[in-house]
Amino acid sequence: MRRKDERGHWWTDGGVERAVTRIVRRLSPGWERRKIARKTRLHADLGWDEWYVLRVAKPIRATVHVTLDDRALLDLKTVGDLAGSVWSRMAEA
Amino acid sequence: MRACLVAAAALLLVPARAAAQADSTRPPADSARGARVRDAAAGPAAPAAAHRWELLVGHSYSSARALLQPATLVLEQERDAPLYSVVDAAVLLRGSLQPRAWLEMGLRARAGSARPPAQRAYGAMARLFAHLDPILVAAGYEYLADGHFGVHQSAATLELTPLGGAPGLGTWVSPAVHVRWRPWLGLSWGDGARPYARLAAEAALGRTEAGLEATGWLVKGSGVGFVQGDVSVQLVGGLYLTASGEIGRAPPTFEPCGRVGVGLGFRVAAGF
Repeated sequence: MRRKDERGHWWTDGGVERAVTRIVRRLSPGWERRKIARKTRLHADLGWDEWYVLRVAKPIRATVHVTLDDRALLDLKTVGDLAGSVWSRMAEA
Repeated sequence: MRACLVAAAALLLVPARAAAQADSTRPPADSARGARVRDAAAGPAAPAAAHRWELLVGHSYSSARALLQPATLVLEQERDAPLYSVVDAAVLLRGSLQPRAWLEMGLRARAGSARPPAQRAYGAMARLFAHLDPILVAAGYEYLADGHFGVHQSAATLELTPLGGAPGLGTWVSPAVHVRWRPWLGLSWGDGARPYARLAAEAALGRTEAGLEATGWLVKGSGVGFVQGDVSVQLVGGLYLTASGEIGRAPPTFEPCGRVGVGLGFRVAAGF
């Protein structure tokens, strides 16, 4: 299945997950790249407080071209939730 | 001989994400592929915004960290003396107004018969947050009164914090060092402009977490400070044993005060 971002680019769910994981890794200096995966928890594992998690909105908008609701971001628990939130906001083919 | 009875009760409702932090032993529900398929099938409505509004009960609404500290009720009795109490509690309701802004409304109390009325405080506030990357801005209005309701303070506040950018600012210092901090700069307008700065720091080690919040105000040309801290140990599930303390001068009277207490905390998710 493929979906379209806000600029009309096509993505697969796997492609979205890889892009989101790369963004989370960039925001988590000190962490080994391979230790950040779908099940990694933003708050408990990475220690992102409720405001730090908002930092992810800008690179996601720039890279995956999806605008996320800030309050919805605060509700996310894992990297997988974040990828799923991005994917759910893309338009289906 | 002196007999003391200390009983503590607390209720802390935190968002689902905080409950997830406590539930660190839960195994993953299914495979990554299965989760991807489920996300795809869920469509545009999921998983974001499952809870548009949430209710939190904690120690104080002064910061996210303070709300993670359980509200405490401490009862102390001495022989042939009245039963004394210490109450530190706050209720906060918050939710979205629009995608890039949200609202918080809260009530709080620093009360109890063990505190002299001048050291008690009752407050109500409304606060609007706006995410202006790279900073977060909060504009609010707070009413504070002392225990006699003789000293009142109504003030508009404007405060900001950087979302990140320094080691430990908003995120663990490193995977091995679970310490993080967050600075706030603010200005309060009531009976004159009163600048202030607040630093919230926290640490976690296994089932134990600790927090410290220090605030300094510039009052009539001189500095006034107030520090509160807590150490909580997770007993089972959402139940915590919490020791908390405070020292300094707190608004609205800025009377000197100091206290140490032990309480039980309970955390559950409450979103709607």
